Amino acid sequence: MAFYSRIPIRLRWLSRNFSLGLLLIGLTSCGGTTPAVPRQIVLKQSWEIESGDRVAGQLVTGSLGDISVRLEGIRLRAPFSGQVELASKGFHCIYFSTPEVPAYLFRYCGVRQPQLGPVQAGEAIGRSGNIHFATLRRQPDGAWAIVEPSDRVLERSLNQPSSGFRF
Amino acid sequence: MVSTHQSGGGVALATAKPFIAGGLVLAIGLMAIDGQGIRRWLSSARPQTAPGCEKIVQSNAQLSREQLAKLLVVPERDPKENVRKIVAEPYCSLPQLQVRSGVVSEREAYPMAWDPTVQLVILYENDEYAGYRFRFQ
Repeated sequence: MAFYSRIPIRLRWLSRNFSLGLLLIGLTSCGGTTPAVPRQIVLKQSWEIESGDRVAGQLVTGSLGDISVRLEGIRLRAPFSGQVELASKGFHCIYFSTPEVPAYLFRYCGVRQPQLGPVQAGEAIGRSGNIHFATLRRQPDGAWAIVEPSDRVLERSLNQPSSGFRF
Repeated sequence: MVSTHQSGGGVALATAKPFIAGGLVLAIGLMAIDGQGIRRWLSSARPQTAPGCEKIVQSNAQLSREQLAKLLVVPERDPKENVRKIVAEPYCSLPQLQVRSGVVSEREAYPMAWDPTVQLVILYENDEYAGYRFRFQ
């Protein structure tokens, strides 16, 4: 206490304001990152072993319906302008949806550091060593079904867009 | 010779100056009186091309609230002609896309009558209605 009283008043004022500033920075930075609510969907297909399960203590990273691709020196990219959401199930899975392709949802698993929220076509949406890609089509009852994908959307997810990005 | 040409250009510029100044004053005046109107006029004069459109089908096509309400109750997998009876011809078609193996997806866009910056994109596969999404420009 005696030591504290010996500190000049101006220095005390500065230290108090510095602490307050740090607290404010902390609070505002927390306010900027809203917690992402994972998207939950009803999938038509249901299998005994699915992505995210464990077998003999080992993690299942892909499942039936996934196309697995090893990414070498590239980042996963948004195939169109759209929205990235965390998936509620699976091994580091995200869903990508876009107004450009109604009735479809694209699932990528094995994605690290995903870029959640609205993204532009060609923007990096995550890193991965191996991605597991699935194409889901909306059913009349509102559920989703995994369908056999063409290579077009996957190709767009792996290529850096050129200036004349085609649809 | 050169000096004569320069002086001629200088005379022309001096003559044009009042007109340029007058034009500027008129433009500023008009903007001050009705800036919104000018913006509206400029946007209507410019053809509204939606990004991503491959071919303009019906440049006047717009979707009313009534048409939209009817479309929203059409079940997926209904024939394309059922949807077309409600929404008529689209403003434009987007490039064909293959999302599923062996199936071509056709996409058509309709601007909303009350807000043309919002478009409804409809997707068909095998002449069946697959679904819609709203696109905001």
